[in-house]
Amino acid sequence: MPDQGIEAYAAYLPAYVLTDNRLDAGGPPRTGGPSRGVAAYDEDVVTMAAEALRHLTAAGGPLLLATTTAPYEAKTAAGIVHEALGLDPGVSAVDLRGHRSGATALDLVLRAGALAAAADVRTTRPGAPDELGQGDAAAAFAGGGARAAALLGRAGHTTEILERWRLPGERHDRVWDERFTAEILAAAGVDAARRALAEASLDAVDHVVVSSSNPRAAAALRKALRGAGQDAALERATGFTGAAHPGLLLAATLDDAEPGQTILLLSATEGADAFVFRVGDGIREARTGPPVREQLAARQQLGYGRYLRWRGLLDVQGPARPAAPAPAAPPMHRRAGWKYRLEGSQCGACGRVTTPPTRVCAACGINASESRIGATAAQRDAGIAGAGEAKVSLRDRTARVVSVTRDHLTTMPEPEVAVVIADVDGGGRLSVYATDVPPGDVTVGMAMTPVFRRLWTTDAIHNYFWKLRPAPLTEGQ
Amino acid sequence: MGSRRTTHDVAIIAMGCTPFRDHWNSSADDLLVDAVQECVGSLESVTLDDVDAFWVGTQGSGMSGQTLARPLRLTGKPVTRVENYCATGSEAFRNAVFAVASGAYDMVMATGVEKLKDSSFSGLSAVYPPDDGTAVDWTAPAGFSLLAPAYQEAYGVDARDMRSALTKVAMKNHANGALNDRAQFRKAVTVETVENSPRIAGPLGVMDCSGVSDGAAAAIIVRAEDAHRYTSKPVYLKGMSFVAGSGAGLASDGYDFTSFPEVVAAARQAYEQAGVTDPAAQISLAEVHDCFTPTEVVLMEDLGFSERGKAWRDLLDGRYDLGGGLPVNTDGGLKSFGHPIGATGLRMMFECFTQLRGDAGARQVPDAKLAVAQNLGGQPGSCVAFVAVLGSER
Repeated sequence: MPDQGIEAYAAYLPAYVLTDNRLDAGGPPRTGGPSRGVAAYDEDVVTMAAEALRHLTAAGGPLLLATTTAPYEAKTAAGIVHEALGLDPGVSAVDLRGHRSGATALDLVLRAGALAAAADVRTTRPGAPDELGQGDAAAAFAGGGARAAALLGRAGHTTEILERWRLPGERHDRVWDERFTAEILAAAGVDAARRALAEASLDAVDHVVVSSSNPRAAAALRKALRGAGQDAALERATGFTGAAHPGLLLAATLDDAEPGQTILLLSATEGADAFVFRVGDGIREARTGPPVREQLAARQQLGYGRYLRWRGLLDVQGPARPAAPAPAAPPMHRRAGWKYRLEGSQCGACGRVTTPPTRVCAACGINASESRIGATAAQRDAGIAGAGEAKVSLRDRTARVVSVTRDHLTTMPEPEVAVVIADVDGGGRLSVYATDVPPGDVTVGMAMTPVFRRLWTTDAIHNYFWKLRPAPLTEGQ
Repeated sequence: MGSRRTTHDVAIIAMGCTPFRDHWNSSADDLLVDAVQECVGSLESVTLDDVDAFWVGTQGSGMSGQTLARPLRLTGKPVTRVENYCATGSEAFRNAVFAVASGAYDMVMATGVEKLKDSSFSGLSAVYPPDDGTAVDWTAPAGFSLLAPAYQEAYGVDARDMRSALTKVAMKNHANGALNDRAQFRKAVTVETVENSPRIAGPLGVMDCSGVSDGAAAAIIVRAEDAHRYTSKPVYLKGMSFVAGSGAGLASDGYDFTSFPEVVAAARQAYEQAGVTDPAAQISLAEVHDCFTPTEVVLMEDLGFSERGKAWRDLLDGRYDLGGGLPVNTDGGLKSFGHPIGATGLRMMFECFTQLRGDAGARQVPDAKLAVAQNLGGQPGSCVAFVAVLGSER
């Protein structure tokens, strides 16, 4: 299978970590306990997938989004990600659902050259024994090449088993006695791993990576396959991240692996999927986002009360203020470039950028064509660009805060949110919410970068748009 | 900039203004009837039938000219409803002025009304057309609070001094409102009351925000040469300008949130028409749009009353107090008199009218000759601005 592999990859860990889930904490949390990654209140699998996929490119295969927590029933979440990435309309967009879908998406990256993200936002009932054992994350892979890793062998093992399930509309998984399911999944995992290794003609690998929805099965398989335990260590920091988990563990392994090394990735959930890879020579250039280790180190501690409020598990009195309005379908469609890709218009006459894009330049009031106020309808029909027609994406640029305020009457599940006016390097001005930063820490002059988020949900419509978060120190200053 | 004084000078011969309150027992209709009755009733020789045309400004308390025609049961009269954000009342006045100045009508009436307290919300809750969902869900105070950090940064004003200047605006305007029976809040407030009030947006607390209230106001306008047929104390419109901003301040880089360029442009035109060359010295008093405390700080500079970067100091020095060099918001302003959107512009006129006629009682500014009424709507970076100069002499 010389042509099957992973060309590029990225993982996304949300900015928050929950280490303590005691409702009535009377003392310091126990040290060395498990922790989980927490997606912010404005994140979901669409936004996390968009962030993980942000710098990956499609190779002609479909766009896949694997998850157990899709934001819509009936509506395809991958279509929103497709729009945010600005993919060619000829690229199809498909949701894969269920715990096994993360491994399936990876399989389709390898077999069909898919561009795939797996993302999940996991909750349990407050106080559930595995509350800190579930977590939120995304991982993304582009197929069509083997710069990151080449596939040496793969095997699947389908087992119908009632392990984790949830009815439509329910919040949390129901879980069968894990002692029963661990035995079934471990057997399936051993079988799949054995067959994949056989196909790869290998007796042993440099890195054993095991992901399972059942922690007992994961532990048993790691032991049986003589893994070094780095997967378990990461899992203890992030929680089991559902459909994203095999991809997350693989991404973290690729971050540190050397060219030529071999990896066994085994996902044991609803049966098992095993993949054997050889790390590619281009591995160091194949990662398109920050390494997992760096993202772990940057996480902010989150209090349990705030976590519960974010997830809607604690109903907190908000301000006496109407819900933010739901967006309407035609304007969203007309301004998809702005809404999903943060495209402003660049004036052909003065070069300045107008945001949101408009036909007439906000800076000079004219456009590039002959007419004095924007392109005429005839010019537009003839394809002559006016000021509003040349689009420029601002999503990967740094923006600097011009002024900032803190909205203490926000309808978001926070006591306050920061709203900033920020000027984009190279032109353009954004009036947007700040995120992943305490509102009081946002200052005039601060460098920030755009990030795709869910602003609010009104009338059953999720309203996605860009916010700004503090720029990493490596970008801007 | 093409903005000339009208061919015919005009004058206000009568005004009415309801108290601004939580008018639980009055509808918008009732408030309009009250304001119009007071206005018409103050002229012995005039009845409503003598008014040729009407304007009614409301942001959201009614649709169409029938907002006024129905409660007054006007028959066969033209009534135009206008809306221009929080400058709606001024816009009703401006268009009424043009109608009488053009010669089309001899006597016109401008009215404004807002009934805000029938909603269960404390702030403003305008309804906008369907959109793409990309705009910030601004509260009004959040939009205006952007002025404070930008102003501090631009002029090196530290947080304590800025806070003191904002507090001073609130205390001054409440002290003025305490002298005014028509004001929503008729009580002076302390530093502690202002600075310990619940946070609303950025540095702004509840006591940095204007009062949300119900109210209406009305004015009768005629050509200046006709004014003395109706009253011995007409108030003359000396200059007037209105600018609708392009919104570029929020749509492209450059604008720095330390000024309202729309107000600067409108003021320049109004002053030019009125022959005002040194507003800081020539203007006797000003009614300005103190929707939130930082707005008044910035407006003192935009209107040419203070040098750039100095308004905070002038405020603290008492220059804009009732007994100061240039009293501002002598009736309590939006802060203490209240802010029923459509009525506010005409309420500002009402105070100018009252002061220029020498009828302001305990609030009277001695020897008041020229007054400025400045009204705006929208938010910094994207606003509409009205400035008028009114005088006791033609």
